[in-house]
Amino acid sequence: MGILVKGCAVSLDTLNTKVPTGDSRPLAKDFEMRENNNGVTSKTGRKDRQRSQAESPLDEAIPPMLNIENVQHNYGDVQALRGVSLTAAKGEFLTILGESGSGKTTLLRIISGLEQPTAVDRIEIDGVDVAQLPAAQRNCTTVFQNYALFPHMSVRENVEYGLSVRGIGSDERERRALEALDLVRLDGKSERGIGQLSGGERQRVALARALVTQPAILLLDEPLGALDEKLRQQMQEELVVLHRQLGMTFIYITHSQEEALTMSDRIVLMSQGQIVQAGTPETLFDRPNSQFSADFMGFENILTGTLQSFKEPYAEVSLGGKSVKGVWTGKTLPEIGQAILVAFRSERVKIGDSIDTSKACNTLPCTAGDRLYRGKYVDQTAETEFGPVRARIWDRSQQLSDFKQISWRFDDCVVLT
Amino acid sequence: MPKKIWNWFVLASGNVWVIRTFVLFWSLIVLLPLMLLLIFSFFETKSFVTIYKPSLNTWVSLFDSGRFEVALRTLRVALTITMIELLIAFPFALWLAKGCKSRTAKAIFLALLTIPFFLDISSRTIVWRAILGQNGLINTVLLETGLISKPVEWLLYSEFSVHFGMIAPHFPTMVLPIYLAISLIDDDLIKASEDLGASPLQTLSRVIIPLSMPGVLAGTVFTLGPALAAWIEPGMLGGGFVNLLSHSIESAYTALRYPVVAALSAFTIVVLALLLSAVLVLTRRTASMEGLFRRMHQ
Repeated sequence: MGILVKGCAVSLDTLNTKVPTGDSRPLAKDFEMRENNNGVTSKTGRKDRQRSQAESPLDEAIPPMLNIENVQHNYGDVQALRGVSLTAAKGEFLTILGESGSGKTTLLRIISGLEQPTAVDRIEIDGVDVAQLPAAQRNCTTVFQNYALFPHMSVRENVEYGLSVRGIGSDERERRALEALDLVRLDGKSERGIGQLSGGERQRVALARALVTQPAILLLDEPLGALDEKLRQQMQEELVVLHRQLGMTFIYITHSQEEALTMSDRIVLMSQGQIVQAGTPETLFDRPNSQFSADFMGFENILTGTLQSFKEPYAEVSLGGKSVKGVWTGKTLPEIGQAILVAFRSERVKIGDSIDTSKACNTLPCTAGDRLYRGKYVDQTAETEFGPVRARIWDRSQQLSDFKQISWRFDDCVVLT
Repeated sequence: MPKKIWNWFVLASGNVWVIRTFVLFWSLIVLLPLMLLLIFSFFETKSFVTIYKPSLNTWVSLFDSGRFEVALRTLRVALTITMIELLIAFPFALWLAKGCKSRTAKAIFLALLTIPFFLDISSRTIVWRAILGQNGLINTVLLETGLISKPVEWLLYSEFSVHFGMIAPHFPTMVLPIYLAISLIDDDLIKASEDLGASPLQTLSRVIIPLSMPGVLAGTVFTLGPALAAWIEPGMLGGGFVNLLSHSIESAYTALRYPVVAALSAFTIVVLALLLSAVLVLTRRTASMEGLFRRMHQ
């Protein structure tokens, strides 16, 4: 196991509480890399998850905050959504992840009521059937990608809008608007015009405007897409804190793997109008169930072999006679001898000859290939007889040239179709 | 636009000489004649000769001779027309900009709106005589069907027919600016309003109307001005019974009473300026032209 950092201990706890939920696959126990990447935010995110999982038996008794069954939507001949079903628990931070054109924004607009689906069996928000209700009468609000702030109103008037259309008196309106602005740390700027704000500030106004009516579900449509890197990371942390403070259900749309992993309790990966995989960030990150998931989640190394044997949970795969072992995560196991894929992340690959083979590791002979300097790390290609394998090396003392072998643990390797 | 020309344009527009040249040019062709007009109104004519000695006689005679009532009547007619146009044009523009999903339909309607700019107005107006007249289409049909026993007289050569005839020619100048302003409203703003719980009526009154005010203002200016100066419709459909400013000015002009012409024109311009300033003050918050351009820039 090696040295445990503090964050890693937390993730181990998560791992233990995870077992009763029915997923018996061993998860990778080594999250040092993620901790390095994500720092504080992911830790808070994970603590959150731990809490919600501890409550999970209780959760099942409560109806889900959002329940969509079999929604289909077409734009002309194009099928944007093909039978998507989705639930979100109360207080969950659910991220819908996917490329542009995967149907994630359409799904969001259907939840909000701004788009009428071609066909749907059921849409329920907080137990209320909203399929026939217009957007204005649904208990959810949206933070738009381009913020959609009213340019003819001040910051405060924008935030008050949802209250004033409900006929709430000006005193209470102002008090609640200022509270919401306080929550997003914009209290000093309530009388500004929208044109006088920076991108990050507009983002906060849009957030306050959506929160002030206290909806059951907050829908966020790639809200951080227009912000620069540093501001985006800061907003990610703030969103996580805000989510924890409010206990509101957040449904967050993004194409960014990093955003999804950092903030979510659960991630739903979409492709071509369908849900490809759903699960915790750990599951998506380490246990993709299809080639698309693996590819999307950044499994740089995907090799083709034939299935040799299967013994729960491991599948043994023959790569041209050389046998490697990994966790089977695919959907339907093929026959012995059929083609199968082996996938593993470059940051889990170790290079060098002096590898302790007594550990549960796969090894492949290789020669050193191209090297790409990336600042924080080095991407070293190892040329094997089954194609190039990329290894991501963070340790600067690592000898990079002249190695003849790579290795990666069974648990860091997935086998899928 | 090629980048180079654009850069040059940006540079030039900041240059103080460009602004000075523009102001000078504009002064010469627009402001100077207006000033001369105002000065002329303080002269008077005696036996077809203009006396270049400042006095208030022309202005006084304006109020004595009944020409003042003509000016007020013109103002009333023009304002009525503008209001009618606004009431028809706004819903139409809203539908054309946001409701009409077919691009072809949109293009056809926009093309139809430009027709009044092509066809001569007198030929379009004279047709109404054949329709509204005592022996016209409407009266004939009504008589034949037995709905009336004698022709309806107020259909033609009345204030009704003048108003009626002015509606179509002045419609595009009201619709087009409003259409443009509404087109510029981001669909997401309308969706956001709905999403935040606003009813369609609330979205209209709180988001769409305020944001289309620059267009409403421009449409009002472009419609009110020409309506004040209308000459063909009152002439052809008023039949001499509806005396408006344009005819008053023309008769003064043919009588060589230039100071009267000047005073009438100056009076109209002053009233128009007062009206527009009032509108501007009332809608100051939402309708600044600057605001419109800022929005386009975002």
